[in-house]
Amino acid sequence: MSKKELKRQRPLLIWSAIFVVYGFVFYYLPLGGWVMAFQNYKNKTGFFHSKWIGLDKFKFLFSDATFLRVIRNTFCMGALNLVFTTVVAIAFAILLNEIRASKIKKPIQTISYLPHFLSWIIVTGILNDALSSYGIVNELLQKFGITDGSVPFFSIPALFWPIVTFAHLWKETGWNAIIYLSAITAIDPTLYEAGAIDGAGRWQKIKHITLPSLRPTIIVLLIMNLGNLLNAGFEVQYLLGNGLVKSVADTIDIYVLTWGISQNDYSLGTAAGIFKSVVSIVIIVMANSIAKRRGEERLF
Amino acid sequence: MKSKTVKRLLSLVLSVAMIACLAGCGNAAQTAAPAADGDAAAPAADAGAADDGATEVSADDIVEFTFFAGMPGTEINSGNNEIQDLIAQKTGVRVKETWLTGQTVAEAIGSIIASGTYPDLIDGGDGCLDLYNEGVLVAWDDYLASGKYPNLTNYYTPEEWDQFRQDDGKIYWCNVFQNTKGEPTGTAHNDEAFWIQARVLEWDNYPEIKTLDQYFDLLERYAAANPKTQDANGNEMDIIPYTCLCDDWRYFCIENAPQFLDGYPNDGSVIVDFDGKDPTIVDYNTTPTAKRYFQKLNEEYKKGIVDKDFGTQKYDDYIQKLSNGNVLGMCDQYWDFQQVNDALRTSGLEDLGCNYVPLGLTIDPGMENRWHTYGDTLNVASGIAVTTSCSDPDLAFSFLNAMLDQDIHNLRFWGVEGVDYLVDENGLFYRTDEIRKNISDPKYRADHLCFYSYLPQYGGTSDDGINANLPEEQPSEFFNGLAAPMQKCFTAYGAKTYPDLIGSVKEDVNATHPWFPMWSYSNALDTTTDGGVAWTKMGETKHEWLPKVVMASNFDSEWDKYMKAYEECKPEDFLKQMQEELDRRIAAKSGN
Repeated sequence: MSKKELKRQRPLLIWSAIFVVYGFVFYYLPLGGWVMAFQNYKNKTGFFHSKWIGLDKFKFLFSDATFLRVIRNTFCMGALNLVFTTVVAIAFAILLNEIRASKIKKPIQTISYLPHFLSWIIVTGILNDALSSYGIVNELLQKFGITDGSVPFFSIPALFWPIVTFAHLWKETGWNAIIYLSAITAIDPTLYEAGAIDGAGRWQKIKHITLPSLRPTIIVLLIMNLGNLLNAGFEVQYLLGNGLVKSVADTIDIYVLTWGISQNDYSLGTAAGIFKSVVSIVIIVMANSIAKRRGEERLF
Repeated sequence: MKSKTVKRLLSLVLSVAMIACLAGCGNAAQTAAPAADGDAAAPAADAGAADDGATEVSADDIVEFTFFAGMPGTEINSGNNEIQDLIAQKTGVRVKETWLTGQTVAEAIGSIIASGTYPDLIDGGDGCLDLYNEGVLVAWDDYLASGKYPNLTNYYTPEEWDQFRQDDGKIYWCNVFQNTKGEPTGTAHNDEAFWIQARVLEWDNYPEIKTLDQYFDLLERYAAANPKTQDANGNEMDIIPYTCLCDDWRYFCIENAPQFLDGYPNDGSVIVDFDGKDPTIVDYNTTPTAKRYFQKLNEEYKKGIVDKDFGTQKYDDYIQKLSNGNVLGMCDQYWDFQQVNDALRTSGLEDLGCNYVPLGLTIDPGMENRWHTYGDTLNVASGIAVTTSCSDPDLAFSFLNAMLDQDIHNLRFWGVEGVDYLVDENGLFYRTDEIRKNISDPKYRADHLCFYSYLPQYGGTSDDGINANLPEEQPSEFFNGLAAPMQKCFTAYGAKTYPDLIGSVKEDVNATHPWFPMWSYSNALDTTTDGGVAWTKMGETKHEWLPKVVMASNFDSEWDKYMKAYEECKPEDFLKQMQEELDRRIAAKSGN
């Protein structure tokens, strides 16, 4: 890079330096706290005088049946969310794109992404009301004679994951569809015209033009979201969960809260957090390298 | 034009910010000032005790302390509350209280510790020990020994104070409840019971309900005869014959009844069996009574008597249901649902007999019950503490000391004379219906009343020897304050007080059960010991399985699965540790 070039790009360099500092302070500096996982950390003794215990906390973690269950829950709920939100958002974007009348299309789009702006506490409140045994869903089920008594939705462990996935779908579909919709509008219209001349119908145009053109977007977003796989959530499960479904509802984040904050065992909480970060990094690198090998779009 | 407006706005914002800064500095100066003459402040408070309102602190010199209570509560309109201001004028301190919301106390205290910002005063509940381990609490010893705070020094006997000592030999907090001055009046039952709406008892002509079976039999018959009820607005609602709270730490409502059903007092986490032998720890989770109790709940669930949503309802839902008046009965601690009484009064449902009457049930007929504990329970595991963040501990202690002055105590709990209570020719305090209505009005409570309910206080009778320290414990006031259906119920059973209705064994628990209560030890357990780990896991297992067991289609197989999961928590580690503590307490009492 020549001196001249440096000079020309000075404002850009200054701006990026700010972000580097920001990233360092807020993302890298806190990593220093990871030493807690290898100490029997107490606030009183601090980083420098707490006792070193090596990998004891990790040993406890992986011999704790609760933690293993919590990993399973986080992973499964994360995967369900990822698959369903992606598929449904793409389908929704395509369907929306096929609507020609903008008087109908715009309101649908607006209404569909509004729930994104509601906080989880509100969404879970609505769900709690709707699915309670005196709620609207049970009332309808009984009115139409589908079930005899009311269904105790929140006390059946098998229903918990679907409910969480549904909540994510309801809240985020419209929002996630925006990015796909904009990718669709970026597709060269001459492709569709050429298709029409060759006699392609709507379905064939979607299959052979829209979806392949969306492919790079889908893959980049998938890789990015895979990194969030283990961030399957805290609020939803925390707010919707109860004693009965605890075994399927608790996530790593909830585990960190109960042990780290409530039981004052920062070391164990940190160890669980490290595990989560490491797994996330592994997943994202793997996904990226698979994409690379198959010659697809990739992150790095 | 436009830019001018912007400039004006900007300057306004800036000046507001500056004033805020100045005010901030001012506060700091104020808190520092009394620190210099802390000695002067303390005698002033003492003088107040001897001579009613001798000194008044001017508004500028009033220091604001923050206080966090590890219990849910209702915030008052701090800074705009009449009695709070009166107390501030007398003591020079205004306390801004904040309460636990939407978290467990362990989470809340954990977050406070993690943030490193502490209120001036704190009641950490089960997290007190964590705060002590953090080294953020001020030791009381020098203050108690100084003689400047006689009310506090005399609040407990030296032996009782000794029980508050931590492993470094010092005192860091004091529990503010169950401390009787003068004579106990004993109208209240602030403990656990199976509760039932007064109208259900009236409907069956006030039968004797002594066992769990009789209780559910009555609920079944009443619900069959009256499947619908009306809420305060006249809307028709289905009756919920029995509900049971399992939300978070409040799942004690479902889990600890077996100890009472067997006739033992509330040791909380275990039974102490001392019938003809050395006191021995018994696990009430696995007794035959426990199985029968949960089997009964299971049968009643299948019959539709137990609330379908019991396992998933949150505390707020539960309180809402009780306030609606359509829940006939539940098992709970009085303090956990007492706000319902205010709601029932405001909505007028109390006139229909929706208030709850406590019953002292046992598993079999003819057994003794100990649902009500006679005698003060000293809980040394938690209480009010002053933190090292408090800029002026002297002032804090003189304030806590002043809380126990009779005139301030009356202000807190009775209110302002002539407004919140009247005095008859014999000096007896009483209230009219209108006053009672005021006092249960949420707005009036926020703007006018200031209980400081987690600061030092007394039960029993006042210095004047006539009145109770707490209005609800004033026998005449207590009975007159009851709604008509409740009065009828009390009269029908020949009861004058709540404990009369329960009919527990009358014994001073401190004499008969010198180790009581064991929960003050188990509540403070943490995961550094095997017993503590087992205790945490047992709690999690019970929390998950008990509702499952109640809802099971096949009770016996579900119970066996639960017992298997329970055994895996190694309850024996916990029980062993409890036995050691029990032995230690007995040895300490007998002076070895």
